[in-house]
Amino acid sequence: MQIKMNDQAIEIFSGACVKDVLRKYSRAEWRLVKNDRKAVFDRHGHQVALDGELNGGEEFFIKSVELAKPQP
Amino acid sequence: MKHTMRTMIGTRFLPLVLLAVFGLLSCASLPPAPVPADTRIVIFHSNDVHGKIYNYAKVAAIIAAERKSGADVFYFCAGDNFIGNPVIDQYVPPGEPILELLNRLGLDLLCLGNHEFDFGLENLKQFAARARFPLVAANIQAPPGSFPQLRPSVLLETKGGVKIAVFGLIQIEAGSGLPSTHPDKVKGLVFSEPLAKAREFRSLRAGNHVLIGLTHLGYEDDQRLAQQMPELDVIIGGHSHTRVDPAENVNGVLVAQAGSDNKFLGRVELLVSGGRVVEKKGELIELNGPMAENAEVKDMIASFNCNPAFAKVIVTAPLAIAGKEALGSLMTDAMCRVHGLDIAFQNGGGIRLNRLPQQITIKDIYTLDPFGNQIVEIAMTPAEIRGLIKNSFEKGGNIDLQVSGISYVVRTNAARQIKEIRLSAADGAPLDENRQFKVGISSYVASVYDFAHQDPGRSLQSTTADALIRFLESGVDLSMYRDIQRAFWEKTTEYPRP
Repeated sequence: MQIKMNDQAIEIFSGACVKDVLRKYSRAEWRLVKNDRKAVFDRHGHQVALDGELNGGEEFFIKSVELAKPQP
Repeated sequence: MKHTMRTMIGTRFLPLVLLAVFGLLSCASLPPAPVPADTRIVIFHSNDVHGKIYNYAKVAAIIAAERKSGADVFYFCAGDNFIGNPVIDQYVPPGEPILELLNRLGLDLLCLGNHEFDFGLENLKQFAARARFPLVAANIQAPPGSFPQLRPSVLLETKGGVKIAVFGLIQIEAGSGLPSTHPDKVKGLVFSEPLAKAREFRSLRAGNHVLIGLTHLGYEDDQRLAQQMPELDVIIGGHSHTRVDPAENVNGVLVAQAGSDNKFLGRVELLVSGGRVVEKKGELIELNGPMAENAEVKDMIASFNCNPAFAKVIVTAPLAIAGKEALGSLMTDAMCRVHGLDIAFQNGGGIRLNRLPQQITIKDIYTLDPFGNQIVEIAMTPAEIRGLIKNSFEKGGNIDLQVSGISYVVRTNAARQIKEIRLSAADGAPLDENRQFKVGISSYVASVYDFAHQDPGRSLQSTTADALIRFLESGVDLSMYRDIQRAFWEKTTEYPRP
């Protein structure tokens, strides 16, 4: 199945979860997310967990946790 | 009110069953329901708990406090309670802690998720038989009489007479048409496309004051459902582990989901006035902080966390299995045998013990293999297998992948450049270069190692640790895991040509 991460199409095995796509996209980004310095958001702007399950066709974006917080 | 609900769902279940079974046919022709007085309804919701029971004492306290406020309070779960916490997953019978906790918390309704099937259909039926709450999933068809606790929809009612119709939907994979679980776990059940099935429930709008979809589809499909079905008041979802805070208004439908792992409790509040929902909102309550806890539930959790099965000896080996080669051979043999694979690989970094004791417990297996990696099956040619081995060798400049089903030799020159990778079948013969093999690797290797393969692969919805436990429980002869080696590095003194 195909998932988009930061606008880049990633071909991944069916039954994969968010962390599988993230690791395939970038090991460096994976480490930042794992250490809570960045987080993964869906195309609607909602944060998703690394073990979030996928059906295919989803789009995600990696953002700094600070930038992702709602601005006052 | 809660007592009324319990009575209706528990001891007086038959009328509810009839409503559920015949609701689709009859609701549209029902006379309009009498208009009850203004009613405030609070629906708490969880999803994708995956065995993380640690915050249920807080959930119990929050729900109890809300009930005291005078609102009509319900508690829904949008699926996937099993798999994700070995201490809980290894309970006998599987899922027992979740069942007892949800019964104690007074859950009103559970939509089945794909991981509810992971312990097998018979286990799920036993779970359902002892649950004091109905299970809903309209796009599952079981043989008549075989799964009586499973309903397409359920009708709930507040103490003031507000009628709430709820239908359930479970995700299916595009390719297989089955939920994301091992196909063997859902044998005998027929699944249909959830969004198409949902259209049949438009008729529930008539005759009911509130219409809710309780789904395990993922947030994207919940959005699609809201777009195609504005008749809905609320969708409470799961599967994608999405933290929707506040709940989003999509096409006039409130769409909610509470992350995962019991880190949040969802709270949807509805005001029903003049026979329809006039106000609705949803938010998440963060549970990972200090707050009141229900003492009885806290004790239950502490008791479940001391799972005696976790320390049980599953096999006594004739020797302590030691070294990456032996442990990796054991782990990959388990993947091949349990899942009928031709070949399996295990990366060195995923082997977290140097030796297994002679008396092997389930805890030892999760210490050896703690990452919860899924097994991914990929159809691969020998050329593609060489690409995987090449990438693994070049990552660390050494043999990394342990193997079952074949042996291999990496031949390098003096500069440690790979000159050849020879693959041999278990009997020592060269592999058939024109054949595709069913190869098993962990989800970590599938996503991190860089190798070309035509087949994208599929998760077998089973972890590498689970395969090893099942392999050891099968009574395999472990004496062969002494001085075993299947992956070799042949260093030559050849110098690279300029």
